[in-house]
Amino acid sequence: MPATAPAQIELPPPAPPQSRRRREWSSIMQDRGLRLSSDTVLSWLTRGSSLAILGMLVTLLVVLTIAAVPSMKAYGLSFLTSSEWRPNELEQPRRGPDGKVVMEDGELVIETLPPQFGALPVIYGTAVSSALALLFAVPLSLGAALFLVRIAPRIKVSAPVSFLIEFLAAIPSIAYGIWGLFVLVPFLQGVEMSLHQSLAHVPGLHWMFYSTLQVGTSTVERPIAMTGRDMLCGGLILGIMVLPIITAVSRDVLSAVPRAQIEGTQALGATWWQSSWEMLRYSRSGLFGAIMLGLARASGETMAVTMVIGNNNQIVLSPFAPAQTMSSLLANEFAEASSELHRSALVQVALILLLMSLAFNVAARWLVVGKEARTAAAH
Amino acid sequence: MVRWFMSLAAVVLGASVASAEVRLQGAGATFPNPIYQRWVTEYQKSHPDVKIDYQSIGSGGGIKGITEKTIDFAGSDAPMSKKELDAAGAPVVHIPTVAGSVVLAYNLPGFKGELKLTGPIVADIYLGKITRWNDAAIAAINPGVRLPASAITPAWRTDGSGTTFVFTNYLATQSDQYKETVGAGKQVKWPVGQGGKGNEGVTAVVQGTPGAIGYIEVNYANANKIPHALMQNKDGKYVKATPESVAAAGAGAVQQMDKSLAVDIWNQPGADSYPIAAFTYIIVYKDLGYLKDGAKAKALVDFLGWATTTGQSLASEMDYAPLAAPVQAKVKEAIGGLIWDGKPVLAAN
Amino acid sequence: MFVVCVLFTLTILTILGLVIGYLIWIGAGSLSIKFFTELPSGKVADPGGMKHALIGTAVLIGLASLVGIPLGLLAGIYLSEYSREWWLASPVRFISDVLAGVPSIVVGILGYELLVVPLGRYNGWAGAMALAFIMVPIVARTTEEMLRLVPHSYREASLALGATKARTILRVVLPAATGSVVTGIMLAIARVAGETAPLLFTALGSRFLTTNPNLPFPSLTVQIFTYATGPYPEQKRLAWAGILVLICLIFVLNLAIRLTARSVRVAK
Repeated sequence: MPATAPAQIELPPPAPPQSRRRREWSSIMQDRGLRLSSDTVLSWLTRGSSLAILGMLVTLLVVLTIAAVPSMKAYGLSFLTSSEWRPNELEQPRRGPDGKVVMEDGELVIETLPPQFGALPVIYGTAVSSALALLFAVPLSLGAALFLVRIAPRIKVSAPVSFLIEFLAAIPSIAYGIWGLFVLVPFLQGVEMSLHQSLAHVPGLHWMFYSTLQVGTSTVERPIAMTGRDMLCGGLILGIMVLPIITAVSRDVLSAVPRAQIEGTQALGATWWQSSWEMLRYSRSGLFGAIMLGLARASGETMAVTMVIGNNNQIVLSPFAPAQTMSSLLANEFAEASSELHRSALVQVALILLLMSLAFNVAARWLVVGKEARTAAAH
Repeated sequence: MVRWFMSLAAVVLGASVASAEVRLQGAGATFPNPIYQRWVTEYQKSHPDVKIDYQSIGSGGGIKGITEKTIDFAGSDAPMSKKELDAAGAPVVHIPTVAGSVVLAYNLPGFKGELKLTGPIVADIYLGKITRWNDAAIAAINPGVRLPASAITPAWRTDGSGTTFVFTNYLATQSDQYKETVGAGKQVKWPVGQGGKGNEGVTAVVQGTPGAIGYIEVNYANANKIPHALMQNKDGKYVKATPESVAAAGAGAVQQMDKSLAVDIWNQPGADSYPIAAFTYIIVYKDLGYLKDGAKAKALVDFLGWATTTGQSLASEMDYAPLAAPVQAKVKEAIGGLIWDGKPVLAAN
Repeated sequence: MFVVCVLFTLTILTILGLVIGYLIWIGAGSLSIKFFTELPSGKVADPGGMKHALIGTAVLIGLASLVGIPLGLLAGIYLSEYSREWWLASPVRFISDVLAGVPSIVVGILGYELLVVPLGRYNGWAGAMALAFIMVPIVARTTEEMLRLVPHSYREASLALGATKARTILRVVLPAATGSVVTGIMLAIARVAGETAPLLFTALGSRFLTTNPNLPFPSLTVQIFTYATGPYPEQKRLAWAGILVLICLIFVLNLAIRLTARSVRVAK
């Protein structure tokens, strides 16, 4: 072997100096010892937005509470139990204990009653209209949800039917209001008038067609005018509006029922209805959550109800009498509230509405999500 | 994406830059809304760069707006009460613009002829004591007409309303029981019936509900061909609401216009007077400094002057009664007293 | 019972048909080109058109999106990507869902107290911010759901290649979910386009074509409400035409959402 010196290894030329290459912002920052990187920026921005969402809820509660304080101080707990909503002052002659007017120096003594605000009629209105809505919507929705989960997949109509039912949810409230005002109200007017003619004499149904009224010292019984614009109409419109949400959530809840459960019942010889009933029973807390969501939506609904409910701020038991809900009261009176106290009372009503809807939403989420978590954990 | 953002920002910010046009924002009574909208359109023909927007939200909203200075002028059929004047802080001027009437419009399918009503009967209807159309009291004053046995649905205003103020004050003069049970005001608690928002809402309720009766401004009834009742006036005669009968009601008004131009003209004596008549006012502060712009002050004063002189010719066309000459003189005096920057606005011309 | 379920479903679909059918029928009979091109004339016999309201709604939605979309997007990114870093993520998710269910009229009152009273008058900003308040929870939750659907392998691969977390999110995860995130945004816009109650005492309404949000602002929904509850038949016809336009807009948005969602699923 010839003894040759090792060949000179050709090294590649040295890399060009760093300054000729465009540097990344982050590496410049690192060199300078600055901690701020795009990572941190994004992290703080997103964190800030999340805090903003928390802030939104807090702001809502705080602002409404502060604005409602004058009314809370003036009326206290009687706000929730009183039926008197009178925004004007009333001048009355003072009456003695015997009911006769008091005369001083030959003149009547006039006392001025300050405005009175009591929210019981609107709480009643919201409660009853929402209850009517659920009465109408829950059977229909559960039936449709069962259809979508059990029958529709086999005939391949689940996608279009789901789309159509969800489209019902996308229709704005005011469209329902217009439909209600021009279609449902005249229709109910006709229906109620014929009901009145045929059923008003039935003794057990007297409360539906007549209401008693206190006028001064006498009591008057009035026939309730069948106008179509009443609690029943409000309840029906609300029912139509909550159909899609109850259907959609029920469908999701029912489709999460494990197949093993259904197959088990079928193995034991259950009919179609019996196995469906088992599905409903198994997911009852989730279904209850769906109903709560519907309730939350129904109680907060404004425009459609305002247009068809008759706007009468009184408690009358008949479904054929006009009524008022919390949201329709706000829509009607807020823009022109005549005094600070009036506006504060309205904000207090809004606060009650908000707390009610928060309570329903929280309960619904807990029931629906909780059930899914428990189902997931069990498998 | 960036370019779209920039152009949107330009539209938004650029629109805030002052242009030659003057914008006035008014809000309030629905009672005069038809004629105010007509006036605004007519005025703009001769003054194209003055844009006046009037939102009819009810007298209560108008008074609230002018108190909080969220609007430039308020429309109201109800003069501001002592409490409201205190809340406003600065002196205000009530400028009567037209006189109008509140009528009882009714929906009685199949009923032909003209219905006659009296004040006490209407009070009892709204109290809930008279429940059917063929009640003895109504039949007694409408001899020879067949009244149906259907239930009466009284319709009323849900919002703070000058029309309600006028109507309830009239009823308070007609029935003591009414006065003590329901009272008078822009927004009262009605024992029975259904509510609507604005004159427009009550008209819609009456239109859509057989057996309904509602109190609305006469223009709304006539424009929608809804029949309204003849009311018995203080002299005992049954009068229909026309510009003439309203003018007769306002005949004596000038004598009371010493301290303030806000004068009640309901339940006035006179064989031809319509009993539920009222002026409607535009309310501004005496010192127009709150407008923050001399051009706006000038435009507002000019418009008010035009409306109470040239604009009056449109009044009777639209079923309102124009201001009588002595009242117009008082109004001119009041407009002359509006101040900008310490000096009367009109003197600057 | 099988029959009962089918019957109930058919009932719901029939109701949908009745509602939509009626609104389309009266809307189609009242719609004319004047609706889109004319401003209100002030005359009740011939009320003109609703051009001002259409532009007003577009501007209000634009302004609301300026605030609502970025806020919602960032919150959604946080809830999906950073949720393990902080204990507050779970409550925020919960509160987001709850906020989405707040009645819109209460949001309107909040807008009034916060933005109308201090500013001294009804203005378009208050209306836009009330709409933004409604948009944020919807955008946040849908963004979170869509980002969660992006497979973890994307993130892991990106991090393995040395990208920072921010780069991973912005350049890898978000682009992978663009279609569905846009779907969420369209959902929020469709919801907000139909809202009336929050605008009633914030933006109030106006007869004029307004582009200055410091003044009362017209909007399609409030204008429809005003005309529909009034007595004048010509104005009611305009209201019906407006409802048809509103429903078509929402239908188109919903259809686009469905198609985008389907194409996204197919692409996976």
